[in-house]
Amino acid sequence: MTGDLLYDVRDATRSFRRGDATINALGGIDLAIEHGEIVALVGPSGSGKTTLLQLLGALDRPTSGQVFFEGRDLNTLGDNELADLRLRAFGFVFQTFNLIPTLNALQNVEAKLAPTGVPEDELRARSLALLEEVGLSDRADHLPSQLSGGEQQRVAIARALSTEPRVVLADEPTGNLDSRTGTEVVDLLTSLSEERRHTVILVTHDAEIAEKAHRSVRMQDGRLLEPTLA
Amino acid sequence: MFYFRYLRSELVGRRTRTVLTLVGLALGVALVITISGLARGLDRAQKTALNPLSAIGTDLTVTLSPQQDTGGFGRGGGGEVVQANQSAVTDLSKLGKPGTQFVHDFFLPGTQLTFPQKQTAKIASLPGVASISNGLVLSAVHQEGVVPKIVAKIKAGGQQLDIRRQIKPPTAAEAAAIQACFQKLGVGVGGGPQSGTQPGGQQGFGGGRGAGGGGGFFSSPAARKCLPARMREFRARITTPQQTLKQVVSPPQTNIKSSSYTIGGIDPAQQSIGLVTPSQLSRGRFFSKSGGHEALVSAAYAKRKSLKLGSTLDLNGTRFKIIGLVSPPLGGQTADVYIPLAQLQKLASQKGLANVVLVRATSSSDVAKVQMEIEQALGSGAQVASAKQVAASINGSLVDAANLSHDLGLVLAIIAAVAAFLVAALLTLSSIGKRVREIGTLKALGWSQRLVVRQVLGECLATGIAGGLVGVVLGVLAAAAIGAFGPSLSASSTTGAAGANDVLGLGQALARTASTSVSLTAPLSLSLLLFGFALALAGGLIAGGAGALRAARLRPADALRQME
Repeated sequence: MTGDLLYDVRDATRSFRRGDATINALGGIDLAIEHGEIVALVGPSGSGKTTLLQLLGALDRPTSGQVFFEGRDLNTLGDNELADLRLRAFGFVFQTFNLIPTLNALQNVEAKLAPTGVPEDELRARSLALLEEVGLSDRADHLPSQLSGGEQQRVAIARALSTEPRVVLADEPTGNLDSRTGTEVVDLLTSLSEERRHTVILVTHDAEIAEKAHRSVRMQDGRLLEPTLA
Repeated sequence: MFYFRYLRSELVGRRTRTVLTLVGLALGVALVITISGLARGLDRAQKTALNPLSAIGTDLTVTLSPQQDTGGFGRGGGGEVVQANQSAVTDLSKLGKPGTQFVHDFFLPGTQLTFPQKQTAKIASLPGVASISNGLVLSAVHQEGVVPKIVAKIKAGGQQLDIRRQIKPPTAAEAAAIQACFQKLGVGVGGGPQSGTQPGGQQGFGGGRGAGGGGGFFSSPAARKCLPARMREFRARITTPQQTLKQVVSPPQTNIKSSSYTIGGIDPAQQSIGLVTPSQLSRGRFFSKSGGHEALVSAAYAKRKSLKLGSTLDLNGTRFKIIGLVSPPLGGQTADVYIPLAQLQKLASQKGLANVVLVRATSSSDVAKVQMEIEQALGSGAQVASAKQVAASINGSLVDAANLSHDLGLVLAIIAAVAAFLVAALLTLSSIGKRVREIGTLKALGWSQRLVVRQVLGECLATGIAGGLVGVVLGVLAAAAIGAFGPSLSASSTTGAAGANDVLGLGQALARTASTSVSLTAPLSLSLLLFGFALALAGGLIAGGAGALRAARLRPADALRQME
């Protein structure tokens, strides 16, 4: 494995304590992902897809094993460094959209861009431009509650892309949408990412969505079914 | 600035939560301010009303009460009291002419015996005594009415008296004189005196010549001139029969109204110590040093009797102009009306007498010593009361409230403060608890822990300031409301030797009850308002900081897993 790999996951495990019981959500994952790939993590619910995605997005730390991102072991980074990584290198899209309910569409995009310290006018211009790209420039001042599910997820995509991340991590982005809207949203996400040469890691249990990926990684019971190396 | 827009959106967007937090904070702050203000108000009321002697520059009061035992310089028993108070007998005959309107004031020393002013020099000369002031406090009975007129109607006269009497005939000498007289006048008198009464004569007694038949002899000019005095007129002494007239006389009609009040005489030359001093003046001015026909009236009495500044009081013909209204301190030696001592002594015929001595010690630590010295110097009849003892005799709701404020005021204020702090903290914590997932999202977006905490603290600061301000306003309003509609606390004190009264049966008439009512207020100060304000802010900031830090330290994955 070379340093050119975007991700290099080595024997990563993640277990949770539930009272006295220990639940092994992930049991020894080895995975490599290259720049610019669109990878689908596929599997039934409870197979550990979301947990793996959270390790890749530095939202969580593995119980054992290592996750290398761009050659750096995420375990060795402090909370502030991880936060900076999430800000600049990653963009998240959630199943439940996770927009800030009190902020309008434009401000939700700005919420991700603002901590990078861009000047106020640039912040607004770039956020508006992104909203336009996802086709919501006329909804900029709408609150999430005034938007449909598909529109909310498109705001979330604009938000995820706002800091020009290297990786877009999407956790069941179509899970709360009807299939047509879901397809539209995923098409939007993949096309925008390909344009920008972003790597996309997509968790889904929808085979149709998975087909849009360059490759699918199948999971079951916290393990990869067919260890695939690119 | 994005973060300010976010803050504003957060506060405006979650209006219900913001308002709830704000109201909670405001109520907490208002509570602290109001309770602390109340405690201060009670404290202040207590200081003015319940520490009466210091207000009039006095440490000790000396009075002379009748003693039941025979020791001391009292003669024992209630004899002196009865004697001193017997001028209360109303002698109607001395009040003026019947039917005239009278106004009279009787001044009674009550249960405090009077003593010569000269004697008090003894107290002044004791070591440790800085100054003394003599006072005369009398119970006065004001009577007014009409001096009754007693009219009895007795009918007399109308009796008929019949007098019959033989006139003695003239003597021979008298007859000769008459004869001569008539002859001289040319009036013949037939015969001698013996025949003079016979009608047959030419010129008889029966008919005068010139006077005509019916004229009568005695009335003729000749007869008047010639008859002796005894015969010209008839004189007799008559004694009418003795009789006794009996008639029931109706009782005299009059209405005498009497009312009682207390009157105090104070030495106008001493203005720093006395029954009242200029510091008790609520309106008008104090006596001039020379005194004069001026009066100070207690505000309560003035209200009861509708007296105003400039009104005059007529006390047994002497007119006193009301120059000031006072709020006399409680504690025994209070009166409704104050006039210069010399004036009262004259009015009450108590020249050179006083019945209370106010004593100021040179230093407060000497008070107990001075008290003992005075007691020794004057004997057991003298009652020396210290400020503390006087204060102890005061009772009423104000005292209860003051005790309450002493015991509970601080505790209540602390409880209110803790409550306000906890309310602020709990409301903040609960609002953060509901936002853990949002905080997880922010962290997933790349927000650092510091940024998240800063944002939440900003919100807490804004809510805290707004809530604190509203609370300060509410607190001020509540304090104002208490001042405007608040309960009146009363304090009263009764003086008079209860034992002597019981023995004599004079009862309450001689015991004086003075009372004052203090309207409860809640005075506020800037520091109190700032304290309440800071409390809300601190509660919000500390809780906000702690809550936000805890949420921000969660791994984003854990925070996102939290249920909304």
